[in-house]
Order: sequence, then C-alpha cells, then structure tokens
Amino acid sequence: MDFQLTEEERLIRDTAAQFVRRELISREGDYLRQRQPFLPPGDPPRRDLDREVRAGLEALARRAGLWLLELPEAEGGAGIGAVARALVYREFGRTILPFEPPALPGLLAGSRHAGDLASGKRSLALAFAELHRTGAPDEVSLRFREVAGGYRLGNATVELYGPPADLFLFPAREAGTRLPALFLVPRDAPGLEVEEEGDLTTDTVIARVTFRDCTVPGDCRLGYEYEVASVVAAEQLRIAARCLGIGARCLNDAIEHARNRVTFGRPLAARQAIQWMLADLSVQLRACTWLTLEAAWRADRGAPYFEAAALAKKRAARTAFEAADVAIQIHGGYGVCKELPFEGFYREARMLRLLYGREAELDRAAGERFLKGE
Amino acid sequence: MGRTRGCACGTVDFYLSEEEEGLRRAVEAFVREELSPLEPEFENAPDIFEGSRWKSRARRSEDPEIRRFTALMEELEKKAEARGLWHLDVPKQYGGLEASNVAMLAVTEELEKSSIPFELGNHVSNILYACRGEQIERFLLPCIRGEKTSAFALSEPASGSDPSMLRTTAAPDGDYFVINGTKMFPTFADVADFVQLFARLPGTEGRDGVTCFLIETGTPGYRVVRSIATIAGTEPCELVFENCRVHRSQVLGEVGKGWELNQAWLGARRFQVGIRSHGTAQRVLRVLKAEGIVPENRGSFAERIGGFLGELAALRSLTYYGAWKADRKLDARGEAAAVKLFATELLHRVIDFALEAAGPSALRKRHVLARAFRHARSRRIVEGPSEIQRHILQRILFREGAASVEIG
Repeated sequence: MDFQLTEEERLIRDTAAQFVRRELISREGDYLRQRQPFLPPGDPPRRDLDREVRAGLEALARRAGLWLLELPEAEGGAGIGAVARALVYREFGRTILPFEPPALPGLLAGSRHAGDLASGKRSLALAFAELHRTGAPDEVSLRFREVAGGYRLGNATVELYGPPADLFLFPAREAGTRLPALFLVPRDAPGLEVEEEGDLTTDTVIARVTFRDCTVPGDCRLGYEYEVASVVAAEQLRIAARCLGIGARCLNDAIEHARNRVTFGRPLAARQAIQWMLADLSVQLRACTWLTLEAAWRADRGAPYFEAAALAKKRAARTAFEAADVAIQIHGGYGVCKELPFEGFYREARMLRLLYGREAELDRAAGERFLKGE
Repeated sequence: MGRTRGCACGTVDFYLSEEEEGLRRAVEAFVREELSPLEPEFENAPDIFEGSRWKSRARRSEDPEIRRFTALMEELEKKAEARGLWHLDVPKQYGGLEASNVAMLAVTEELEKSSIPFELGNHVSNILYACRGEQIERFLLPCIRGEKTSAFALSEPASGSDPSMLRTTAAPDGDYFVINGTKMFPTFADVADFVQLFARLPGTEGRDGVTCFLIETGTPGYRVVRSIATIAGTEPCELVFENCRVHRSQVLGEVGKGWELNQAWLGARRFQVGIRSHGTAQRVLRVLKAEGIVPENRGSFAERIGGFLGELAALRSLTYYGAWKADRKLDARGEAAAVKLFATELLHRVIDFALEAAGPSALRKRHVLARAFRHARSRRIVEGPSEIQRHILQRILFREGAASVEIG
C-alpha cells in the first residue's frame, strides 16, 4: 500500500492551493461585505462575483492549468486524473468565493459542443434533479424516442439548481424500454423552455427546464446507462472533494478562533466542550478524506468506483456541514454573520448533502445491496 | 394541558388552572378566527415577515408590498387588543393581566400553531420593571403603551458568552457618567428609542461594578454604527459610545448592581424558546405530512417522525415544568438550561430530517422549510449557546449532585 501522491498530483495540488490563497481567499473580505450598512430592509441581493473579477480570475486559472480539468490536453484541457481533480476541487472548496473550474464531464470530449465549452463561449448546466433522491436514474420522468434524424424528447419539467446555461446535459429514459440515456441539448432547441423561478437558500437560483416534443439531432445522445452513472459519480467525487475543502477551512478557522478568544479568563481552546467538538470533527474529516481519495484512485485505476463515490459524497458532505456548524458555533454571534464565510458554507453544505443521493437513500441502497449479497 | 380539572392539591397536575385555560382558549379562538385565514396570503409575504423582523426598519419602508403586510399586522394587533389579548404579561399595577409563565407558554403554544409570525404585545423587556420614579413615565410606560421600543446591549466585540468580561466603562463625573465602549448585536437598536446598556465602573472586574443605563437614541456620543445581516434574517447592530455623558437618573436599578438585572433578563426567556422551538418543529412535521413528502409506506421515515414526536412531547412537558418552577419562585436555572439546549438542538435535528426528506427544492428561499432552517441555526447561539447551557448544567451537577435532577 502506498498513500503518496505522485509528483504531478502534488504539483497541481500546490498550484491550486496557491491560486486559492492568493487570488480567492484574499478577495473574500470584499466579497462578503458586498452589502453596505443601512440599505433598505429585506435580504441583501444575492451575492455574486463582479463580472470583470470573474473574467480576470478565469484567465489566471486557465494560465495556471486549473481549468477544463476533465478534458484531454489535445482539446485544451488539463487532462488530469480523478485523484488530481479531487485535490484541485478540495483546494477550491476552502474559499466561500463562488469560483471554481466548471465541471465538464470527460465524456464531452470530442462532442459537437466541446470546442465552445472549452473556449468558454458556451456554458454547461447539469439537469440531473430527478437523480438527487437516490443518485440513480430510476425516477427520471423525461422520455425519449428515436425518430427519423434524431430523437424526440418530452414531456417533462425538471428543476435546475444553479443558473441556466447555454447547454443542458440531462438523463432521459426510452419510452417503453425505460433504458436510460444521456443527452446534451442547447438551450435554444425548439420545444425546450427555460424559466427562472427564484432564489435558493444558497447564493444561487432555481430554474425550470420544460421539454415539449423537443426534437434533437442524433449526435445529442452521448451515451446510455453507464454514461449517466459516470456523470453522477464524477459529480459525487467533485462534491466530496469540495466538501473536504470546506471542512478543512472550517476546522482551521475554528481552531484559530478557539486559540484567540477568551471567556471566563481562559481561551476557548482550554475548554473541553470546544476541544471535543474539534476533536470529533478532525476524526470525521480524516475519515472522509481517504474515502474520497480512494474512490478517485479506483476511478483512475479503471476499477468499479460508483458505490465508493456515492459513499464518499455522503460522508464528506455530512462532514462539511458539521464542520461549518462547529465553526459557526465556536465563532458564536460572528459565526452567523454574513461577514464571515461560515454561514455561507453552512448553507452550501446543506445543499450539497441533498445532491446526487440523499443520506437515507444511499444508506438504504447500501443496506439492500448488502442483504442481497451483492 | 388543554383541559381544566379541579386542583387535587399535592399531586402532579398537568392541567392549566381555570384562569389560564380561559386565556388559552381565547388565544386559540383568535388564531382560528384571525390568523389562520390569513395564512395563504402570508405564504408569499416578503422575507421581512419572517420572525419579528418586520418590526425593524420595515415599519419605515416605502415599498407598497411591505406596507401592505405591515398594515395587516397592525390590524391584527388592534383586533387582539379589542379582544383583551394585550399586555398579557404586564404586571397588574401597570394595567396588564400579569399572566404567569405557564400561561404565557400556553399562549405562545397556541400562536405557534399558525405560521404567521404574530406576537401578542406589548412585550416589555422584563428588567424595565426595575424603573423607579420619573423613569417609569420616561421609559417603562411608553414601552407598555407601544409608543417606544428598546434594545438590549450587553455583548461586546470581545465578550459574548462571558458577559463578565465586558469592557465598556462608565466613569462617574459629578451627576453624570461618561460612557466609552463598543456593543455588539443588539437587535432593533437601529429603530429603538433607547438602549439598555451595560457598562462597568472604572477599576472593577468580573461581575462587580456592572451598571445598567437607559440611554436614548440620539444622545451625543452614542452612535449606531451599522446593522449586520445574519443567516436568520435578523439585523443586529453595532453600537459605539464615545464620551457619552449620561445623567445618574438614567441608571436602572442601583449603581454597580447591574449583573443581577442581566441574569434576570436572560433566564426568563428560556422557556419561551422551548415552546417556540416545539411549535416550529411541529409545524415542520405537519408540512411533511401535508405536502405528501413522507408516504405512509416509507417505514424508516415514519419511524423517525415517530421518534421526533416523542422527543417533542418530552420537551413540552419539561418546558412547562420549568416555567411552573419559575412561577413558584423556585430555582429553575437547571430547567432553563436544559430546555434551551434540548429545544434548539431538537429543532435543528427535526429540520435537518425534514430537508433530507423533502430534497433540494425545499431550499427555495421562501419555502417554509428553508425559512425554518435559517432561523433555527441562530437559535442554537443567541441568548446562550448550547455549550454554555452544557456548562451551566455540568456546574449544577457538580455543585448539587444528582439531587439537582430530582423531582422538586
């Protein structure tokens, strides 16, 4: 056994860490204080990065090789493995700034829109809402049928968490056989309607995508059941890695605050209640770090890793949530303030726990697999 | 509770007294006849109508939508007053009903059955009843009449859970005190007419020398620097005092005896937190049921709901027990800490489960579960974080032994 990172993995991890520290965490203060004191009552407008700042950061990230992680170098991507990708997303998870490399599933390489996606001319959104309960496509209501020159899709409405993009990647099932397949469809395809619905508790939006007899060319279908599952697993790994970063940041800042904050004549760090919270958290975090890296390592080795990715996601998201919770609790009143990142991590981690398989469903599936002797 | 019965004195009796039951029924009728019919309308109310936040700067808002809901709230207040459901916990000498802690729990429990964040006022910060002489007309009565509001300023940048570390000073200067320092997180300070400020005499430490002042907004040297957005939507403020001269007639209670006042303020609120969390948790579980989020055949979900209902019942009885002890002037600090800890952590677990059952679409900003989620987070901190409650409980355990958890 060997738990050493390769030289290459170490290098990209350090590059990402440096980028996150220098370019992102350094901007957090400005980002978090977007709201001026004494604005009219009501919630502040949704926090977001300034467009120019975002464009500048993207250019820097591209130059550093921290963009298009999944695409091969021939298509302008970084072409890194799953372990390296997890290490990169873990670094980006450390900041509350809403900026990280966009998730472009590797199977898009060579597809019709790969060039536009790689250049940033077009953006991608994953419309996988119906998989969020179990992580499997059993509840997908969208049906497809092969017709002359392509496929007809309809009729269904799916929710979209995050801003609508130019291209949608989504699963559908064949009418009759119910066989799952994966489709990539542009927003302006006839029969496809996008409706923005409102804000989410995380600093993003919720939208609806409706298909009504939407006909698409044959090359919009990118695969079948395995491809759907591989997108889910890649997302689970990405979320798990991000959650490790959230957890590490929260643990770090909580320890720092506990060292400095004095109550009843002693620092918080001298209090058993605080020590135990941090101790418990560190154990959780260590456990899911290796769970995540092992799942990624299996993916790199070509071994089955879907179940491991699901388990890593579940534990890491849970741990990130608990880490944000602990960081809030140790920071007290400051913890719930929007001027510090922890309440934002808390809201985000709560969302991440609900994506690509909820805890009880993943537990149940794992239990059922065990009982069936799989 | 919910029915009255002749008091069999000397035995445990969970029924309300006849007087308390009468009050509960009146509130129940008010909720049924006035609040419930408005619920569909309030589902789409602006976020400011979550919790008590609408009483903040919303009252000065020009936004027609906010004004419309503010008007609805004010109309409800008038209706409640017309029914005699006003000044419930105000002492009789000031024209109130002087309802017991137990009765006020029953009142809140009824109100919590509605999702509309309506309160029966006017609640007056309980330490203001220490007002004497001209302070009564200047501070207390206007609050009771609803003409003035106050804010409570104890925490500081470096002193929260441990208020004995407060550093704001009040230096005597003839008939005046000169106040210097910074206060964090008083809610509503930006709209309040005056602030209840805790400061210490020079050269004192710990609980000694703490003195409470009543200081009007606009007093030279007193500034509300900013308000701070929080996850719960409340907007607590930061206050700065720079050579703020305050006349000795504005000392609440006695000079140097402010510590007892702040303890009284915090202690009295715990049981209300308990019953509120209980009510919110019940509403969250009802949402799951009403929206069909938990189908009957999903065994494990049903099992967990059943478990929560049991815990909620336990919380409710403990809360009433503590309030009853407080009414009898018995030491209820242990119950207060246990209720605060149990209630806010349980509510957190119930909402966490509800979100797990309902999925990401329930995190829509205006969804009732998302609102409950955001509110519940700060409840585990404000008015004494869970760790402080655990600390109080362990201190009581080591001081009094297991006797502290015996039935009184």
